Amino acid sequence: MKPSAWQGICLVFRKELTAGLRFRAAWAAMLMFALTTLACASMALQGGSLEPRMQAALLWIILFFASMAGADRVFADESTAGTLLTLRVYGASQAVLLGKLCYTFFLLLVLAAFTVPLFLVFLDVTVKEPLVLLGAVLLGTGGIAAAGTLIAALTTDASTHSGLFSVLMLPVILPVFLPAISLTASSFGADGAGSPYLGAMALYDAILAVGASVLFDSLWYED
Amino acid sequence: MRDSYLWGLAALLTAGVIYAVFFIVPEAMGLGPLVRIAFFHIPVAWVAVIAFFVAAFYGARYLRSPSPRADALSACSARLGLVFTVLATASGSIFSKLTWGAYWNWDPRQTTIFVLLLIYGAYLTLRSAIQDEARRARVSAIYSLFSVLTVPFLVFIIPRLYFSLHPTPVVNARGSVDMDAVMLYTLIAALIDATLIYITLLRRSVRAHREGF
Repeated sequence: MKPSAWQGICLVFRKELTAGLRFRAAWAAMLMFALTTLACASMALQGGSLEPRMQAALLWIILFFASMAGADRVFADESTAGTLLTLRVYGASQAVLLGKLCYTFFLLLVLAAFTVPLFLVFLDVTVKEPLVLLGAVLLGTGGIAAAGTLIAALTTDASTHSGLFSVLMLPVILPVFLPAISLTASSFGADGAGSPYLGAMALYDAILAVGASVLFDSLWYED
Repeated sequence: MRDSYLWGLAALLTAGVIYAVFFIVPEAMGLGPLVRIAFFHIPVAWVAVIAFFVAAFYGARYLRSPSPRADALSACSARLGLVFTVLATASGSIFSKLTWGAYWNWDPRQTTIFVLLLIYGAYLTLRSAIQDEARRARVSAIYSLFSVLTVPFLVFIIPRLYFSLHPTPVVNARGSVDMDAVMLYTLIAALIDATLIYITLLRRSVRAHREGF
């Protein structure tokens, strides 16, 4: 019996999670990258304080580049293991894309749950508006997951894989990245960003997810 | 139209625009002779944006019905777009230094042109990283269309995020043109000239691309 679209998404998500937990390389690389850069930044500052805007920028630079260390493998690992063709034959394109997108989002939420508390401790940052920070992290990682899943699929056969992924991601993700920094700065006590930014980020996340979904078919069902 | 006619027309128009910019156009209030940079900067920025949409349009055409011509047009337009974006960035920076005192200050329009520069760079890097021709054409077409999604953000969100020192656009927020008539006609001629140069270069580079150069 053919699974429904929702069941297909859940199956792909469960497959990704099982494979990720079994091999752990992507998780370890991503979390250790975040920890290393965070420790470097904290050591370099030697207990000195930064402006909220600088703190927010630093946090999102760490989150962005750490996510690049994990999210770029979502299709390349299938290609290396030789399972991409099987997935192409048996998996519906949208189930594959959305299942992998949900998994990447989950992966990035784990990264944020690991990085943000450590960042607050290491850099002695006080959060004045926790809900704004939560919204920025959820929508920021959502945008990275939406764009990252399609771009990971695009770079599967590329010769210079890792560096290329960051190069392709940054221009597309800037509309999420910049408001996320403004909102995070606001949650750390800076003036400015508010709910309109959250709305704009949510809208752009949706645009990225729909765009990825529309374009993925052209990639998945090649002539 | 043959390329030689296009080149001739572009050369004539370029000569006319240069003459008008240096000998006819009056100095602008507050900017003085520096306004002359605008007659180079605005047309190259205009072509940089047109080339972006042409690359995406032929990317979409390729995905609808794959053909080497559509891929060549998309790729060549992106290459030319990168050159025009570099020219727009450089001329804008010089104008910025002479009027605001700094080459770069992340003004909304500087941010927009920089994002465009990143997109062109990423697109061409992606093309150079994939060996298989059909795969390269398909993947780069998808990326060029995906990057179009940033346009609403660059046009509507960025100007609200950052304070701008940039002069008011030619067509202002009220939808009217607030510019001296001589300046306006010269600018329109410069825009047509830059577009003509772009079209001629695009035709030439597509031919070279398809011949394997």
